[in-house]
Amino acid sequence: MAYQLYRNTTLGNSLQESLDELIQTQQITPQLALQVLLQFDKAINTALANRVRNRVNFRGSLNTYRFCDNVWTFVLNDVEFREVTDLVKVDKVKIVACDGKSESTQNKVDK
Amino acid sequence: MASSANSNPVPKLYRSVIEDVISEVRELFLDEGVDEQVLLELKTLWENKLLQSKAVEGFHTEEQAALQAAQQQQQQQQQVQQVQQVQQVTQPAQAQQVILPPPPQQAPQQQVIVQDSKILQHMSATGMSAAATAATLALPAGVAPYQQLITSQGQILQVVRAPNGTQYIIQQPQQQILLQQQMQPGGVQAPVIQQVRPFTQVLAPLQGGLPQQTGVIIQPQQIVLASGNKVQGNAQVMQAAGMAQQPGQPTTTAALVQQLQQAQGAAAPQAQPQAQAQAQQQAQPQAQPQPQTQQPPMMLQVDGTGDTSSEEDEDEEEEYDEDDEEEKDKDGGEDGQVEEEPLNSGDDVSDEEDQELFDTENVVVCQYDKIHRSKNKWKFHLKDGIMNLNGRDYVFSKAIGDAEW
Repeated sequence: MAYQLYRNTTLGNSLQESLDELIQTQQITPQLALQVLLQFDKAINTALANRVRNRVNFRGSLNTYRFCDNVWTFVLNDVEFREVTDLVKVDKVKIVACDGKSESTQNKVDK
Repeated sequence: MASSANSNPVPKLYRSVIEDVISEVRELFLDEGVDEQVLLELKTLWENKLLQSKAVEGFHTEEQAALQAAQQQQQQQQQVQQVQQVQQVTQPAQAQQVILPPPPQQAPQQQVIVQDSKILQHMSATGMSAAATAATLALPAGVAPYQQLITSQGQILQVVRAPNGTQYIIQQPQQQILLQQQMQPGGVQAPVIQQVRPFTQVLAPLQGGLPQQTGVIIQPQQIVLASGNKVQGNAQVMQAAGMAQQPGQPTTTAALVQQLQQAQGAAAPQAQPQAQAQAQQQAQPQAQPQPQTQQPPMMLQVDGTGDTSSEEDEDEEEEYDEDDEEEKDKDGGEDGQVEEEPLNSGDDVSDEEDQELFDTENVVVCQYDKIHRSKNKWKFHLKDGIMNLNGRDYVFSKAIGDAEW
């Protein structure tokens, strides 16, 4: 099982909303919607790992940090995200990061 | 195409993910006995939501790609026409140019440009064209600009042919230009007098072409007309406007020209508020320019209640306060509680609402390779992330960051 991390993105949320609409009109079952989401998790993880090849730097001030269940959550203020092409500044950003080192831990459900 | 090297990778990535998911899920749908149509509907819904979110640039389906291509072709044709017209405007003018292209029946805009070296010093040609097009766009629908005259002082007169055949001259006030030119009164007057001639020459064919009435529509703001004396020209034009707006008294452009020539003779400048006062007083004789003494219009008080004198108010307030104090002493606790509740209700601070109601929370969803801390210096090594910053989506394969806690 791949991380379900990316469901709360523009791409993931729009998929979830679309599935909810189909469920409400009873065109698909909730079970099928769940299968679709699992398939989405695999696809997005694969795509990010293989099809994206760019690098970003950022700098800011750390407001809060949290490490729970091997998930880091940061809130930064006054951050500048710098890519080769352009620069993006934000007042506040939340970073949610799952462990990217070992793929094996992702497959374990019961520990 | 060189530009494709710097293109945004996000739309392509999203498109590939959508295609992968849909193709993988097709089997699942068939196993469940769900129709293919539902699958296509899912894809359509998904893509539409992505489009609506505006988080991704350049994201479009195949159908919309064809539509956009068709729209772009149409837009390009329109832009080519506009570019040709702009090029006519921006050609650097010798002393004076009068351009009278043959007017087509269906209008792209035509511009008659009276240019002078002084004009170019005050305004750039591109500014004129931009202002001209902006002024033209401000016209109401159904009224196509027949000709646009740009006078010596940069004022844009638009000869507009309304659908019923009458022609109107619309003057577009431009205050900025007026201020600029007022800074140089000495240098402007001499060439201004010369410039009136082409103005009259341009008006002449209009006179011949006027079948019926000619009205002058003045916008209720400052008006500057090309004449030796700026303000007296205003006065006369507004008088003409006043006359024109009165029913049954059409003024011709010949009368306007005569007034302008009369205005050249007079040399005394007048204050502009006086000209505005004259504009507001429409019922004026047409023959001569008005004398200088004009009072500004009476200002009615529109704020607050109908307060009269302050003395009466003070007496009333004093009496009112005394009454309240007596009531407070008598009733004591009951009035105190009633007064405290509304007082306390104002203590709530509404900052939380502002923090919660921002449009986009900038979020980065990713995986971490290494998180390092030294004293209060943090270093982040992240990978495979999707970012939503300021409403837009970005992706990265690696991200390195520094922050101080």
